[in-house]
Amino acid sequence: MVDANKKFITGADMAVKAAIDAGAQMMYGYPITPATEIFTGWIKNKQNFLQTEDEISAGFAVCGGVLAGQKAFSASSGPGHVLMQDGFIMAEGMRLPFVLFAAQRGGPSSGTVIYSQQEVMLACYGGNGEGMRLVYSPSGPEELYALTRRAFNEAWKYRFPAIVLTDGYTLKEKSIVDFSLINDVENFPAYPLVAEGQNIHWPNIFTSEEELNHELNLAKADFDKITPLVATSEIIQTDDAEVILIAHGIVAVAAKEALAKLRLENQKVGLFRPITLRPFDKVTLDKTVGGKNVKQVIVIESSFGQLARLVKDSMDTTLGKPFNYIQYPALGIEIEEMVSEIKKIII
Amino acid sequence: MIYKVLLAGDGGQGVQTIADLICRAAFKKGLEVTEIPNYGLEQRGGASLSFVQISDTKIGYPKFSCADLMLIISNQGRERSLAQKGANTQIIDIKDFKDELEAKKISSQNINIFFLKVLASFFEENGIFNKVDLEQVFEEKFGKKENWLEIKDIFNK
Amino acid sequence: MSDLIPVKFCNGCGYPIILMLLNKILKEMDLTSQTVLGLDIGCSLLAVNFLPVNTFQTHHGRVTPTMMGFKRARPNSICIGCTGDGGAYAIGLQGLAHAIKRDEPITVIVVNNTVYGMTGGQVTPTSLHQQKTETSPEGNIDHPLLGPEFFKPIAHKDAFLARTAANDPKQIQEFLTKAIETQQAGHFSLVEILSFCPTHWKTKGVETINYLNNLKETFKPGTL
Repeated sequence: MVDANKKFITGADMAVKAAIDAGAQMMYGYPITPATEIFTGWIKNKQNFLQTEDEISAGFAVCGGVLAGQKAFSASSGPGHVLMQDGFIMAEGMRLPFVLFAAQRGGPSSGTVIYSQQEVMLACYGGNGEGMRLVYSPSGPEELYALTRRAFNEAWKYRFPAIVLTDGYTLKEKSIVDFSLINDVENFPAYPLVAEGQNIHWPNIFTSEEELNHELNLAKADFDKITPLVATSEIIQTDDAEVILIAHGIVAVAAKEALAKLRLENQKVGLFRPITLRPFDKVTLDKTVGGKNVKQVIVIESSFGQLARLVKDSMDTTLGKPFNYIQYPALGIEIEEMVSEIKKIII
Repeated sequence: MIYKVLLAGDGGQGVQTIADLICRAAFKKGLEVTEIPNYGLEQRGGASLSFVQISDTKIGYPKFSCADLMLIISNQGRERSLAQKGANTQIIDIKDFKDELEAKKISSQNINIFFLKVLASFFEENGIFNKVDLEQVFEEKFGKKENWLEIKDIFNK
Repeated sequence: MSDLIPVKFCNGCGYPIILMLLNKILKEMDLTSQTVLGLDIGCSLLAVNFLPVNTFQTHHGRVTPTMMGFKRARPNSICIGCTGDGGAYAIGLQGLAHAIKRDEPITVIVVNNTVYGMTGGQVTPTSLHQQKTETSPEGNIDHPLLGPEFFKPIAHKDAFLARTAANDPKQIQEFLTKAIETQQAGHFSLVEILSFCPTHWKTKGVETINYLNNLKETFKPGTL
């Protein structure tokens, strides 16, 4: 009675399948829970890989591969993600299509090997730059697949490094995925950034403030130009909403169910779910929060406000709606808990 | 219909195996299922939990705060699963099976197979899936093992 | 190489000699267009627009893994990483050691002047015992790391590890040629080149050459 298109599959295997389908050619990795299974899953599928001595080496090797025109990528978590940002910021500075799976676990330091939403700032603004990178936050395994496909395509098309920001729950969760519902998309091809005989002379350090300022402005102009094409979000029942919930990733999965329960009790609750964290879908955010019935915004996350900061930073400051927060750093938020917490603070 | 099962034991007792088989049986029956493990740092010896949800509609969030059914096969498992115990949670606890386990001479490495059978009855009673469904996936998984007949025997005891 | 590009290295620096000899070798071997030159962020960064060769900067201490990644993506390229003693033996030691252990077929040129030049002359792993620098004002407590010797035990038998000096152009050419041939044969190569740094050695004219020749007492030229 089993549909041949359906598979009982882990999130990690969905990520691996997406990377393969995206035409990824090489993975540099280092074992770290809960990202290890992306690496071992890739290897089990007989793909090219190298385990390096640390995440620093992995990150720079990805840069090297990408410079040569290879769809190289990596995956890490927590303290490994911190090290990976070393190579990632070279990619940011040089506009290299570095794709990284960042699997959030408890932090800071070694934290837990399990789960959090505490690497939002690290993913969005890690390193010594301005966050000129694409960050995707999937809710559920199907979206993990879809956003991985987008990450590879958009990184190579728009020349910004990209992070698929997931977490230990999503990667370890096994669920039934109907592959007949998974859309295949066309792959944007990789190409050599340094071609044989090109005689390119490519710095990432500049002599004067003016030179770097100029480069940054060029990058920002490009980033702003692609924002309307890349920034994505989902809104649920926001038209008549008085309370807007904001959540991302797996917390948003629970938030959708919490919303359904609250609606059954005639609470006029809506959800704004950012799908890209960088660039953030400010247009939809402002429209949603600015809704005429909206009395309150509740930002829900497994962190002390990293999502909230992104929201407030993106949002039109004149909207003036009161904000509340449900913050469970490094801890999952069950649907019933979420409902109960929301009810406590609903205006 | 949604049924939430929490399995809790020590690492190495086979909690994940039981979870996997339950999920496969549900999957085979065309049901929706999610499973998520929760374990500590130790490769061996720490607690091992598995959250399983079975439903006829697609399941969203894989974890839950209150289990409909809990299987507890160690002291650590019992401690670590207290939070998910609700007023209506049905509990299958190894401490209640001490005598039976002794009488049937079930060794510590086969505890999971014994409880798989207990669960099979439970799922059939609650109309989730039949014992036969679980037997089928059980055979698919272990049928090719050297000690299959021994394992099968324990399951049927 | 254009006459119009201003030379940014200090007067008397060994880099221009080394780079021009590298260029000569590549031309002789007809490998200019296949070559990719990666640079550290130290004095080597000044070579970014120096040779008619694809060149890019990487990060301080990270040229080895970057060139490893490039080479694995494009095996028929000639991948050369150019770094100083600090980039190679301090911050980059881990990446370098493991590339050697894995026998990555890349070439690393270590330009050794025993100080961090670009940042003002601080102590590095190759600074001499009792060498006084800004960060070893009482004299360096450590003893210098001898790179090629240090790596020899973990290198493949067909890897090439050698040391020469900026005032020995013949040997530089010999070793760089051998290094590139080693890469073409699929093995790792490292050439440490003792280099002039009158700016931080605070030497003038022949003093600089004497200082360099003195270094050879500690850092012995030759192959390992």
